[in-house]
Amino acid sequence: MPLTGTRDLLTIADTAPLLTSLETEPWELKGAQHLQLHYELGGDRQALLPPSLHPSIPPTLLVNVTHVPDSEVGAFTLATVRVGCRAGARPRGLLVRGYCDSAAATSVLRERWGFPVDLADVHLDPSYARATTSVTLDGATILAGELVDPQPITGADVQYMATLALARVARDGEETLLIQVDPDYTFDRAQRGVPRLTAFDAEAWNLPGASGAHPISASLTTVDMTLPRLRYLVHPDRDPLKAVERLPQAQPA
Amino acid sequence: MKFGVFFEISVPRPWGPETEYTVYQNCLEQARLADELGFDQAWAVEHHFLEEYSHCSAPEIFLTAIAMQTQQIRVGHGIVTCVPELNNPIRSAERAAVLDLVSGGRLEFGTGRSATWTELGGFGANPDETKKTWDEYVRVIPKMWTQERFSWQGRAFSMPERSILPKPYQKPHPPMWVAVTSVGTEIDAAERGLGSLGLSFGGVGEQAQKIAGYRKRIQSCDPVGEFVNEQVNTVSFLYCHEDDEKGITTGQRMAGTFNYLSEQTLATRQAYPTPSYLSPGLLYQLRQESTSGPEGRVPEGLTIGDPHRVAQAVARWEEAGVDRINFLLNVHEMVPQEDVLASMRLFAKEVMPQFQRDETPEPAGATAAGGA
Repeated sequence: MPLTGTRDLLTIADTAPLLTSLETEPWELKGAQHLQLHYELGGDRQALLPPSLHPSIPPTLLVNVTHVPDSEVGAFTLATVRVGCRAGARPRGLLVRGYCDSAAATSVLRERWGFPVDLADVHLDPSYARATTSVTLDGATILAGELVDPQPITGADVQYMATLALARVARDGEETLLIQVDPDYTFDRAQRGVPRLTAFDAEAWNLPGASGAHPISASLTTVDMTLPRLRYLVHPDRDPLKAVERLPQAQPA
Repeated sequence: MKFGVFFEISVPRPWGPETEYTVYQNCLEQARLADELGFDQAWAVEHHFLEEYSHCSAPEIFLTAIAMQTQQIRVGHGIVTCVPELNNPIRSAERAAVLDLVSGGRLEFGTGRSATWTELGGFGANPDETKKTWDEYVRVIPKMWTQERFSWQGRAFSMPERSILPKPYQKPHPPMWVAVTSVGTEIDAAERGLGSLGLSFGGVGEQAQKIAGYRKRIQSCDPVGEFVNEQVNTVSFLYCHEDDEKGITTGQRMAGTFNYLSEQTLATRQAYPTPSYLSPGLLYQLRQESTSGPEGRVPEGLTIGDPHRVAQAVARWEEAGVDRINFLLNVHEMVPQEDVLASMRLFAKEVMPQFQRDETPEPAGATAAGGA
């Protein structure tokens, strides 16, 4: 059996959102700009994951910043930092804290998809030569990075990992679970570049000891993305082979 | 139809002081038995950093050990990674020549470029470049083997004129192969006159079409070596048991474990957006095939079950135009060694004789006669 995580997510569940329903409807977000900075993870690979997840070989750190120009709650920008891992044999990114610059969007993301996001100043600024991003919380920069030297590629070359978001779910009592969110993407434009992470406060992202140890790639895309109906949950403390729960509304994969 | 064994050398955790030693010794014992039973080839992968999945990072040494412990079986690099950060082409040519010499001309030389960021990133290789460097390697290595003095000004490497020594025992040189794991690579193989190693995409029926395309294209190829190696190898799991149900159950567990372990690695495509990598990782198609059978049935072509069922699967491969099947015998040491050996013996006794064996020297174009 490959290595598994050792982190007790109950210890950080108090900041996670509470889902009172798992029957959310899809949310289409058109013309979003999506930046991903992909690094090999520095830090203790097992200490950042719960027992239900395997660290990928090598484990990775995924910085994702999405600017949505318009939606039913207006424009917003969302930043997440995830740990690349495996749920059984499936590639996933564990999200235990993120930030959004819109109170209305934050509420939607928390209540319908269980994203553990809070308010902060989040910026994504693409230009011809680079795309920069920053997240500021209470006046402190907790993330800064950029994609440099962009080169055009096709959207077919880009793969995004589905998210496992830390949330509390009210069913028969309250449970701490990981909510699988695997958006659909229709790519309009895509560029690949070199990632540069110039500031990263691991504690602010609830990832103590984590760092971007070795750059892999960066991508900037323009996409229509749809946050989906919820289909799967992961029980964080179970054996990886018994951790995934398929929801009744899930269609066969 | 010929048969071979294929070593990934997967090592389960926990890794005690004897674990890797035991797995390596088990694999050597399997190779010795394969030689005794009349299997034709033993192949070993080159993988780096792939925890538990494959600890076979120095196949030239492992294959040398096999060659020294056996009499007839051919030894195959499956594959040499043709990426400068992993293998200098001069050293690859030299090592292969020495292995061919000490084995008495039994080397099969497979080539490829790695499918994972785990490996390419570990060596600092650029995934955009690997197809190009592979192409350069397969063109220059046969020249290194056959020209007394050699020089090169290329993209992947350059060198002033030198004698690259020693030369292989097989003349003009050992047969060359390409690892085929993504659609279209079989045509890359055919265009260069190379053997197709591990042609494993789609079901058997689909493969028949691809093999036909390979056979057609190779007729008008521009060979990179001194001869055309028109052969198609495929790879499958083998677990043969008198009890069909036990054979199937064990074989499917092997396939499932193999799939699970391989998915823990980081495929290049998952980490680095590039048109250079279309295949989603290690032997992905084999893994798909091995787990995608109709509900409750063994996927077509998977060589597991009782001898009758295994023979039927081999027959399907033969109909599809495959020349050789190489078998993965164990995964993660999940099958006890004595059961692996029993499976090999049963296959050799009950299945192997059903298929006509070609005893002519192999392959056309390469001989082990020593001096040219």
